[in-house]
Amino acid sequence: MGYVFLILPTLIVVPLSFNAGTELSFPPTSFSLAQYRTYFFESNWWEATVLSFWVGIATMMLSLVLGVPAAYALVRADFPGKKILTLFLLSPILVPVIVVALGVYLYFASIGIKGVALPIVLGHTLIAMPFVVITAMAGMQNVDRNLEVASQIMGAGRLLIFYKVTLPLLRPAIVAGALFSFLISFDEVVIAYFVGRAGFSTLPVKMFGSIQWEISPVIAAISTLLTLLSLGVCLLVAATAKDE
Amino acid sequence: MAIFLAPLWSVLRQSLFDPNFTLNGYSEIIESHLFIKILYNTLQISLTAAFVTLIVGYPIAYHLSRQSPRRRALLLILVMLPFWTSILVKSYAFMVILGQDGIINTVLYSVGLPKIQLLYNRTGVIIGTVHFLVPFVLFPIMTSLLGQNPDLARAAQIMGASRLRIFLRITLPLSLPGVAAGGLLALVQTFGFFITTALLGGRGDLMMANLIDLYTREILNWNLASAVAVTLLALSGGIIFALGRVRGGMSAFGQAA
Repeated sequence: MGYVFLILPTLIVVPLSFNAGTELSFPPTSFSLAQYRTYFFESNWWEATVLSFWVGIATMMLSLVLGVPAAYALVRADFPGKKILTLFLLSPILVPVIVVALGVYLYFASIGIKGVALPIVLGHTLIAMPFVVITAMAGMQNVDRNLEVASQIMGAGRLLIFYKVTLPLLRPAIVAGALFSFLISFDEVVIAYFVGRAGFSTLPVKMFGSIQWEISPVIAAISTLLTLLSLGVCLLVAATAKDE
Repeated sequence: MAIFLAPLWSVLRQSLFDPNFTLNGYSEIIESHLFIKILYNTLQISLTAAFVTLIVGYPIAYHLSRQSPRRRALLLILVMLPFWTSILVKSYAFMVILGQDGIINTVLYSVGLPKIQLLYNRTGVIIGTVHFLVPFVLFPIMTSLLGQNPDLARAAQIMGASRLRIFLRITLPLSLPGVAAGGLLALVQTFGFFITTALLGGRGDLMMANLIDLYTREILNWNLASAVAVTLLALSGGIIFALGRVRGGMSAFGQAA
């Protein structure tokens, strides 16, 4: 019963998306691909998707570049204030997103940067990076310290060891972190809605507007595709974890 | 480091300087009926949702903890998929299910029962919020259930305790730290809810995040918006502090990843 409650809303959008009509009816009365056609060929929706995609890629890169070395340092190095720094790096998970959104909005207003993409990417990195740090820290548990020590004895420098020994062993964790940070950014609404402006809407922001005012049936098709994306990411992460 | 602190610092500064140092933002929101009502709303919705989530989540966690690791991994997909599904997809689905001409009301109508209002009110917000929160409470509860020594229950069984008695006297009390961690995690998530209230809630039945949005984008009073945000942050901070005191609380929020 509990499982049904959890999974039903995610699945219900699938049959709806093949409905022909312009209004919501369940069960669908006819089968059609009209909603998908609207989504792919009506330029507005596709434009928003492409924008979200690039914002997601940028967020992923930035989260990895900042998050993986941070996780490495937190696990391997010993320094005062390590615990506090860990808590601090993970804190955006617990800070309400709306506060992060307002902060990014005010900060970029105060330094007078006019661009929109940069604030959104930085905001998304703030909330996605903790997930990279967590997965990378968990992955570090599987990296045998003796391998690093052995390469050190054989004369490898710290940087070389990190690139040649640690990073390859961390691969599954990094793949998981990359996929999650992309998905977090791709699905994120609040920051993109706060910082974005007319003419610069990511897919979720456009969906949010559409659901709020007039529920267009295209939403069902987009929802189905987003669900497929989430499912793909979940399965990919499960698969890389199993390889290990 | 800087990119973490700069946004929070901006909010704090904006709440105190406008442009000179002032506490007007805070005194204004404390005297505002709207703010007090919304603060009350936020606490009420969060507490109700967290409570209902625990009631819904505990049996699932219990069931998961009794499965073989293989079956558990499979069932966990049913939990993780909604967790990673966009909140917009979930909200949209609930509009389809709960709406005036939605699935539930269509069924009710076809068997001759009156339609019920499930959307654009408190009920809709609670249902949507609970659905969002269940995966968050599942993990801490499941961890504490899995961490129990099965010999305890077995010993009690040998000594003739009924299954209900074993659950009430052994399993449940031992899982309470997990329940507490899950409950606090649910609370801190709900405090900042924005999308669910905006889409499934009634007009005017707002939460603090919606108020921040209203002040920032409609009324353009950044000072007030920041004062509300700092209050929200303080509320969350209190809960996070409590979470740190619960056994296993801090590791709880990392498990979802």
